[in-house]
Amino acid sequence: MNPILEVNGLQKDFPAFSLQDVSFSLLEGCITGFIGVNGAGKTTTIKTILGLVLKDAGSIKLWGKEMDRNERELKNHIGIVFDEGYFYEDMSIREMKNVIAPSYSNWDEAVFDNNLKRFQLQPRQKISTLSKGMRMKYGIALALSHHADLLIMDEPTSGLDPLVRSELMDILLEFMQEKGKGVFFSTHITSDLDKIADVLILIDKGRIVLNEGKDVLLDKHGLVKGDQRLLDQQTRKMFLTLHETEYGFEGVTDKKSEVRRYMKGVLIERPTIENIMLAYVGGE
Amino acid sequence: MLFNLVKKDFILAKKYWLLMLAFAIGAPIYVETQTHTMSGGLLGFLVTVLLSEYMIFNSVSMAEDKYKGSALLSATPYTRKTLIKAKYLFILGIFVGCYILYTITAFLLPSYMVTLNLLSLGISFLIVAIYYGFIVPLQYRFGYEKVRYISFFAIFIVPFLFPYIWIWFQSRNIDWQTIFLFPSVIQELLLFLLALLIGLISMLVTIRIYSQKDL
Repeated sequence: MNPILEVNGLQKDFPAFSLQDVSFSLLEGCITGFIGVNGAGKTTTIKTILGLVLKDAGSIKLWGKEMDRNERELKNHIGIVFDEGYFYEDMSIREMKNVIAPSYSNWDEAVFDNNLKRFQLQPRQKISTLSKGMRMKYGIALALSHHADLLIMDEPTSGLDPLVRSELMDILLEFMQEKGKGVFFSTHITSDLDKIADVLILIDKGRIVLNEGKDVLLDKHGLVKGDQRLLDQQTRKMFLTLHETEYGFEGVTDKKSEVRRYMKGVLIERPTIENIMLAYVGGE
Repeated sequence: MLFNLVKKDFILAKKYWLLMLAFAIGAPIYVETQTHTMSGGLLGFLVTVLLSEYMIFNSVSMAEDKYKGSALLSATPYTRKTLIKAKYLFILGIFVGCYILYTITAFLLPSYMVTLNLLSLGISFLIVAIYYGFIVPLQYRFGYEKVRYISFFAIFIVPFLFPYIWIWFQSRNIDWQTIFLFPSVIQELLLFLLALLIGLISMLVTIRIYSQKDL
């Protein structure tokens, strides 16, 4: 699998926050979930990739080409969906499309019209009257109407009801049917990624903490439940996070074999992505 | 691409169009009848074009500030440079629109208004270029909210200051022809050239400011 996006040593300093040496790659044919709590640096990373936030150091390559030097050409192959939308809300769906569409050399009006029909969007409807879910669908309709090869989505599911979120997952899976496509999907709602993600990248306080295949990550980690008497100075070190009550403990480990060997009688379950995320960012 | 971005700004200001149309026709008639067309249409046109530009440009800036649509546009193949070029073209578009409306009105109502001569058009163009030559880069540097009070104050002071400056120049009896050694037509055209130069420099400055901004 070829890399679609390569981010190397990305650095951006703000007065109260910084991206520090952010490096990762996105492979074609993969849905990559970009996870982290609010304020971890997901949106800043995405905005930096898209050139909306100017980087202090590092390189961003798409299909092997430097983004800085080939911005227009590369952006032609990217579909973007922002959480905030950034639409001119006084415009109608058709008017906003008429602003966006001419920027893409491969805009396909027929695909756009089909997307509108599919999402039951009326071209004359004012954007300000759309619900959050409809706005997200409109964003997707725009992002998918120029035959994009990479879909970058910043928190597309935040604030959406489960039905719309599930619909979005189906759309993404459908998008991935075609060869050579990729999705980069940032979210703090990790349950969305349980079904569809191939790779997970975890960011915390502006640093990449984890970057691995979802299945490898879920196999490598374990959610351990057991009697508190099994915890001592030695066994505690096997856990990334521990939650203790008077009856027992629950913790996430990345040393499953050691736990099995030294902590007889514990229950080791498959963790959720959220368990793993919180274990690394110290939320539990 | 550029045309679509200019069109976008006109769409953003669409709710003011009817009002602006009425103003662009009514204001010069009012000013010219009050001043008995003594300024050769200059004052009527200048007041109209300045206020029209101000209201339309500000309503678009307000929408940009509210919806942050330029962030989405900058994420598409539109470059930041194109977005800025379109903004300047939009200002020019309003000016041309006001001129066309003024000329049509003057043609239809010759007893109230005089047709704008090249000098008056050139002076108006230069003043608009100076005003937006400062305001646009300032707005991109400091944001709409911070600059709107400066632009508000400046736009309303120009029509009041202008007659005094005009009278001052006339009282001095300055013979521009001996200073510049050009025929008057060339001098009038120089006003346009100077305005375009100011606009161009301002645009380059704004492009530089915007290219260094985090959106």
